This record gives sequence, structure tokens and C-alpha cells, in this order.
Amino acid sequence: MSYGSTIKVPFGPQHPALKEPEYFLFEVDGDIVVKVTPRIGYVHRGVEKAFEQETYLHNLYLAERICGICSHAHTTCYTQTVEGLIPLEVPPRAVYIRLIMAELERLHSHSLWVGIAAHEAGFDTLFMYLWRDREMIMDLMEEISGNRVTHAINTIGGVRRDITNEQANKIKKFMDRFEGNVKEYMKVLETEQTFLKRTKGVGILKPRDAISLCAVGPTLRASGIKSDVRADDPYLAYGEIPFNVITHDGCDVYARTIVRCEEMIESANIIRYALDHLPEGKIRVPPPRTIAPNESVGRVEAPRGELIHYARSNGTAKPERYKVRSPTLGNLASVCQTLIGAHVADIPMILAGIDPCFSCMDRMTITVKKA
Amino acid sequence: MVLYEIVGVFIYPGMAFLFGLAFLYEWIDRKFFARVQNRIGPLYTGRSGILQPVADFIKLLSKEDIVPASCERPVFSAIPIVYATLPLIALFVIPITGSALIAFEGDVIFLMFVSALITLTVFLAGWSSAGSFSRIGGIRSALQMLSYEIPFGLALIGPAISAHSLSLTKIAQWQAANSSWFLWLQPIGFAAVLISLLAELELVPFDIPEAETEIVAGWLTEYGGRRLALFRLGKDLELVVASTLVASLYLGGAQPLFFIPPVVILILKSIIVLLLISFVRAIFARFRIDQMTSGMWTYLLPLMIVQILLVQFGIGG
Repeated sequence: MSYGSTIKVPFGPQHPALKEPEYFLFEVDGDIVVKVTPRIGYVHRGVEKAFEQETYLHNLYLAERICGICSHAHTTCYTQTVEGLIPLEVPPRAVYIRLIMAELERLHSHSLWVGIAAHEAGFDTLFMYLWRDREMIMDLMEEISGNRVTHAINTIGGVRRDITNEQANKIKKFMDRFEGNVKEYMKVLETEQTFLKRTKGVGILKPRDAISLCAVGPTLRASGIKSDVRADDPYLAYGEIPFNVITHDGCDVYARTIVRCEEMIESANIIRYALDHLPEGKIRVPPPRTIAPNESVGRVEAPRGELIHYARSNGTAKPERYKVRSPTLGNLASVCQTLIGAHVADIPMILAGIDPCFSCMDRMTITVKKA
Repeated sequence: MVLYEIVGVFIYPGMAFLFGLAFLYEWIDRKFFARVQNRIGPLYTGRSGILQPVADFIKLLSKEDIVPASCERPVFSAIPIVYATLPLIALFVIPITGSALIAFEGDVIFLMFVSALITLTVFLAGWSSAGSFSRIGGIRSALQMLSYEIPFGLALIGPAISAHSLSLTKIAQWQAANSSWFLWLQPIGFAAVLISLLAELELVPFDIPEAETEIVAGWLTEYGGRRLALFRLGKDLELVVASTLVASLYLGGAQPLFFIPPVVILILKSIIVLLLISFVRAIFARFRIDQMTSGMWTYLLPLMIVQILLVQFGIGG
């Protein structure tokens, strides 16, 4: 039913549905969204400029703090990019330790997300259970690296800490328990009618639109497209470890939930395989201080999708240009498309569906007002 | 006799007793909800957190009152007081001690009227706050009332038909006299009254008017300080109304058991209803407003009509 005029509902910059500040202006006709106007730039910190001011080793800690949830993905991509500039070969044990931490981070990020999706749907009980399990992953990461987030385990040329045998056994035992829990939660998610009503058919992103709007990560894979940097362009040791790329044909928020749950189970398998095949040897090689003029690109599969870093060196100890393209920036266009035609109650579900990490993605926007 | 009336209205079974019950029920609800979620719930204020609702109320009373500049001031200020008072009025007709403070034929209709007034108050609260979130919350609340009001009324009428009386006290006494509760005589009515009460109390799966993640706090968004304290008190009193109403209408009401006074039995029964409501709150996600209205009209209303027909044909007392 059309009322002829639309209400403007602002989402943000502060809103309980958004964990990070961005501004979305919705024009709502009755209960249906007819127009979305996003404005980004609320957490722009000038990171790319800051990269040019310090040495490569110092920038490692800056790269880590681009995002809290995918901090290890950023440092992995950073070290990969800089090691591609030099070029430098990393010892195999370091490669495997980086991979194990990356998969642990994927586990913690995905369980965070499924909890948030349940919370946005009003299903607080599942949120509490998932975050309880996530706490155990955080304890594991604290034991390995010393921190719950911003692990600082990567360095240019390898890793800074080793995984001992007791830690490896602890991780393996926990993986069994965690996998069992995730399978239980998947059973709940697949059969709980109230949750299904909130997520099935909500936020449909057709495969053709997903490709043309540059969606990445689980958002893309939930539209049925098999695209995963770990399989397409294997980095670290993903070429040696067998794993499946999870896709789902639903194209809606439910498909994205199922993709992330199954990716969690897949990550548990990858961690177990990597721990069983952990090579011996040293964990780091010393990098040079200055780097000859060169260009390099690094791509990793962060929990949210494809993360690209680009670096250019000019013979000094500081980079000349560094660029970060986060997965959420890729997903932003697709989310603006899927929001049109949704109910007001679906807005948080769809916004949360791309797993937004605005602090990674933020850019400065210049608004030109026509006189 | 006047002193007796005054003590009755203000202390027992009147306002002081009901406020105490309200805070107790909020504590039970929060603690049970937390334990289902593998959390602890309130712990430090008083023994195992039992004074936490009182602490929250007192803290809110002392907070700064911020009023939006473009709101309708008289309505905005009056609504919290009305919202806290209406459930009290409803509680005066519910037979908590075996006989209500005010009992007359037509209690049940009066109760339905008061609950409709409560939802109207919620709508006015959202409307007078003059913010887009509040307005959407108020509209959703009114829309929700359109859906659950008829099944709720029918669920209250079912026992009234069987007991041949429109007085809550007489319906409770009929169950005691015939030693059969409407819980098993009219089970569909019991399910319907619970679902409609969940919708009226705005609890998950029907907490759509205050959906935290969609519209901040819905119609409650602009209220703070003393006004929010009164709203929370009103919510707790509504919880008491809901649980004691179901306990009186469907679970036999206040009956003495051996030497235990009837009021304690009623409180125990209403706590069971409260635990049921809390449990449902914990295990479901939230519906969308269009799903809720279509679900109520497609499923709940026909089921209640079937129930009333069954009662008319003599099945169910």
C-alpha cells in the first residue's frame, strides 16, 4: 500500500544494528525501503598515508590495527606483500603457523558473525552460546600468541612465536569439541522456524548481480559462485592442504549463515590437518632494512572475503605507496542493491549479512553540492 | 472499615504488595532467562541479585531527564504515569488473595478494556516522542494490537462461558468448586492466551515494537530518567497481571492447599506461568510485523473460534 510520501529513517552513525559507524539514509514507504543513500568516512583514519611515514617493520603493527577481528589477515597480507617486494622466502614451519592462526581467526570471526546474525534476529540465546564458544577460541589464541586480538605473531620473514606440542594437542582437542558444537547450532538454525522466517528469502543477491557488483567472500559464495582466494590463487600452504570451497545456492541471508557455519567446520579440518603435518625448522629469516624499487600485490582470503594489499618501494626503508582494499568495500555496492525492496525489519539482517567491517574499509568521501 | 480499605488498597493486597511482586517477578524472569543462556544474571545486589530490579529503579529515578525539543510535552510527560497506573488498575480486579479488591460482573470485559488502553498508551508514547524510531515503534505496537486483541478476548471469554459468569473471581472459584482447571478443559484457549499475552507484553517472539536492533528502542527511545523508571515499573506490573491472570483463569486460581494460604498458591502458579513465558522468550527469534499479523489472523483466530465452538457444544466445561 503506498501512502504517497516516504519517511526518512536514518541508520547511524550510531545504531544498535551497526557495530561500527556508517550512515545509511533509508527512504521507507510504509514498511518497504525504496531508496538507500550510504555515506561512508566516519572511521577514516588515514592509514594509507600513515604507512608512508614509517619503516616496513613499524608498519607491520599499523597493518595489524586496521581491523580488530581480521587483524591476522591484514598482517598476513602485509607480510606477503612486503616479502613479495624484497623478494624473501619464508621457512615452511612459519608458513604453517601463519595458516593455523589464519584459520583460527576465521573460526572466531565466523562464530562472532553467526552470533551477531542471531542477535539481530532477536535470537539472543544462540548469540550467548556462540560467543561462549568463541571465548574458548580467544583463550587458545591468547595461549599461542599472547593476545586475544591483534596477535602480533607475524613478522616480515616469518613468525615470532612457535607452537609447542602441548599447544598443538590442546588445539586439536578443542577442534573436536567446537566442531560438534557448530553442528548442533547448524541443526538449530536449519530447523528453528522463527529464525528461518527472518532469514530465508531476505536480501536476495542473484549470481549475476553478485559478480557485476564485485561481491566477495561468503556473500559471493552464498550466491552459488565458487570463488575463494585460498583455492584460486593459493597462498601460504593452502596449495598443499585439501579443503572444500563452500557454496550455497540460496542467495539470501540464510545461505550466508549456512556458508559461514560450514566454513567453520572446514576450518577446523584444515587446522587439524595443518597441525598433523607441521614441518620442522626455524620460524623466521631476517629481512633486509631497505628494499629496492619494486611493486607487489598480496591477496588473502580474510574471513569477510578477498583482501588485497598493494605496495610500491623506492629503495628506502619506507614504502612509497601502500593501498588496502578490504572485502567490505567490495560488498558495499551489493548490500545497497539488496536493501531496496526490503522491509524495515530486514535492514539489520541484510546489513549484517555481508559481515560489515567498516573500520577496514573506510574511505574519505567528497560530497559535491550543486549550487 | 475505612482503615481496612486504605490498608487494602495501599499495602496488602494493594500497591506495596504488588510493587514487591513486580520486582520479584522481574528478578525471576531475568535470572531464569540468563540461566537458559548459560549466563548468571543478576548476582551482587542482595542475595543472588534479588534486589537488582529495585536498584535499577532507584538508579533510573536519579538520572537526568532529557526531553526532545519537538515532542508534545504534556502527552510526553503524562504517558509514563498512565502506563504505570493502568496495570495496577488491572491488578485490582484479579483475585490474588482468593477475592479481588474490586470484583463485579463484567470484570473480564473491564480487563480487556484496560489492556487495550495500555497498548493505546504505548502508541501515544511513540507518537508524542516525535522521532522516527519512536513513531515506527508506536505504529508497530498499534498494528500488533489489531492482531492479538480478538484471540485474546476470545481466550478470556472461553472460561467465562463455561463458568456462566463474567467475573474473574467467580471463574476462579468455579474451577476450585469443580476441581478441574481450564488448562485441560480448554487447552487451545490456554495456548492462545499465552501467545496473545506474549504479544501484549511485547516479549520475544513479539517484541517487534521495541526491536532493539532495528529501531533502537522503538517507542521507548526518547524516554530516560524518571519516565523510563515508570515505564519499567509498568512493564513489571504487566508481567504480574499476565501471570496472575493466566493462573486465575486457567490454572485454578487461589485455592488453599492443606495449611498453605491461597495467596501463596496463586503466586506459585503464576511463577510457573512466568517461567513458561521466560522460556519461550529465550528459545525463539523475533518475528517481522507482517509475519506476526498474518500468522495471528491465519492461525490463532480460527483456532480460538474452534475453541469457542467446542465450548458452546459442551466440550470443555
